[in-house]
Amino acid sequence: MGDFWILVMKELKDLLRDKGLIFGIIIVPLVIYPALGQMMQVGFEQAQEETKVVLVNLDEGQYGNLLIKALETAPNVTLTKIEALSIDEAIRKAQEKNYNMIVIIPDNFSKAIENNQKAQVEVYGIIKGISGGMREAVSEGRINAVLTVLNEYLAKLKIGQSIEGDPEAILRPIDAKSFTVIKGRIVAVPPSLVANIIASQSFSMPIVIFIMIILVAQMSAGSMAMEKENKTLETLLTLPVKRITIVAGKMVGTAVIGIIAAIAYMIGMRNYLGSMMSSSSRIGISLEDLGLKVTPQGAALFVLIMFLAMIFALSFAMLLAVFAEDTKSANTVVSAGIMPLAFPTFILMFADIETLPLAIKYILLAIPFSHPILASRAMLMGEYSTMYVSVLYLGAISALTLFVTARFFTTEKILTAKLRFRRR
Amino acid sequence: MPAVKVENLEKDYGKVKALKGISFEIKEGEIFGLIGPNGAGKSTTLKILATLLTPTGGRAEVFGYDVVKDGDEVRKLISYLPEEAGAYKNLKGIEYLQFMAKLYAKTGKSYEKMLELGVRLSGLGNRLNDKISTYSKGMTRKLLLARALMVEPKLAILDEPASGLDIINAYSIRQTIKQFAREKGITFLVSSHNMLEVEFLCDRVALINEGVIVETGSPKELKEKYEAENLEEVFMSIVGKEGGFQYG
Repeated sequence: MGDFWILVMKELKDLLRDKGLIFGIIIVPLVIYPALGQMMQVGFEQAQEETKVVLVNLDEGQYGNLLIKALETAPNVTLTKIEALSIDEAIRKAQEKNYNMIVIIPDNFSKAIENNQKAQVEVYGIIKGISGGMREAVSEGRINAVLTVLNEYLAKLKIGQSIEGDPEAILRPIDAKSFTVIKGRIVAVPPSLVANIIASQSFSMPIVIFIMIILVAQMSAGSMAMEKENKTLETLLTLPVKRITIVAGKMVGTAVIGIIAAIAYMIGMRNYLGSMMSSSSRIGISLEDLGLKVTPQGAALFVLIMFLAMIFALSFAMLLAVFAEDTKSANTVVSAGIMPLAFPTFILMFADIETLPLAIKYILLAIPFSHPILASRAMLMGEYSTMYVSVLYLGAISALTLFVTARFFTTEKILTAKLRFRRR
Repeated sequence: MPAVKVENLEKDYGKVKALKGISFEIKEGEIFGLIGPNGAGKSTTLKILATLLTPTGGRAEVFGYDVVKDGDEVRKLISYLPEEAGAYKNLKGIEYLQFMAKLYAKTGKSYEKMLELGVRLSGLGNRLNDKISTYSKGMTRKLLLARALMVEPKLAILDEPASGLDIINAYSIRQTIKQFAREKGITFLVSSHNMLEVEFLCDRVALINEGVIVETGSPKELKEKYEAENLEEVFMSIVGKEGGFQYG
């Protein structure tokens, strides 16, 4: 085994035995995120439960009965008719039966419709103490959906009685048919839908990249600072091993843990976001249908870009750690050095880099962490030329940072450089 | 060729002059002691020879290799024990020795032999299978010393080797150092502020004070020259002459 692997193995052993670290970066995302997702799922399902409606019909005409019929046949709605003389009485009775919705059809309901006047239905949602109203919101939505259908039905009926022609065309004279042009191909899917599909595929990517970079940076700086804190650095630097090998061993060791942590986060996040992200899959359109697919070339370029961004994060964090005396100050310098570089890349989650003001565009392009995010989209769109530019840029900046870091390790700065954080 | 050759070595930390041009030589197989009070420049000298610090002026060689230009070569010949050293807390004692042995074994001695020696020198027995985080300060020091000596370097640089050890362990360490020098021909550069320890251990010593070597010689020579009972008295009489603290 070469010196490099001996150092990597030592690094892995030392890190993997740190219970706090393992708990924080692997157990928490694997357990907490899915648990959180599960809880939201339970709450969501609870809200989707049967809508129980208490109905008070004060109208004696045909339209009141029509509305009752429509509500009775609506899915997930259970209707119970009660007699009540006032709203207070209706609320009391609804609460006795543990119903959360009340619909009151007033006595002039049918008459108003017959006279071409606006009729009114009163809908009450009873929100109990800590329920938060989610269930009532869903119930109201269901009742409103019934009313919309009924409204349209009645409107068409009335139009049909008084005007000749297609009631639908009179009610909605203009209809838009949306298409999307993607990679020069016309697809009969609205752009909003396409955007949703692409976003659902690439939205979690920036978050995962962000977490991975911060984790990896913090870990490599932390492990470097730990050497200082535990007074092992001086011994390490006098071993018969090239300094660049020491730097590389440490970087690879922490990168392996970083990747394990990122995978844990990705699995945890996927479970957590699963319920929210499932909408696009329900549409039934896949990326392939839109002519977007990941080729081996695209995937390889993306992996290379991720790797180079990671090398940059690792070596930059190590460089920052040179100035830290202990793990606490290492966290501070990493936060101060890496976070400002990582945060702006969030802009790319919402904005197209080409439409941003020129200055912001170039600032973002100068930040190495923007490139994996851009690459995740370019990979889908098959824009490999921009990916090659990213590879060149990241390769150059990573090599430069690595060189500077390795240089620092061959000088006494690694032992003597200190940043003092003054207390206010 | 001397094992160590130091010429007009200077080291500044900003405005503070830690070394003001010191010179000395250590012969191969010799136990050489660098003694002086805290802040005299002992650790700085040792760190320069261990390739950790770069001198501001002068030069230092280890077996003919320049510590600045030929750092990689120097590191193959030396083993350095810092004064305040720790070990990887999440590793077991035995894993720490294995890790070190693997890195050194390629440069000469076979891995198994090195590890066996390390286990014996540490004297930690079954405790070597426990995590280092469970060790006392003395146990950690013994592990680190075992690590430094098991690799049988050409030059061992030990900064306060017995610091933190009780009388029994300190005594056994001194015996081991003497034995290693005699039997294996290993050269030792030892620093200490415990002058009695150095007197017992070293073939020759250099007395260092405020970045200057004020006297060099064997303990016997120095005691005769200054008509002193021990090195402590030698040191006090030299420093006293130079205007240090004087009592009585």
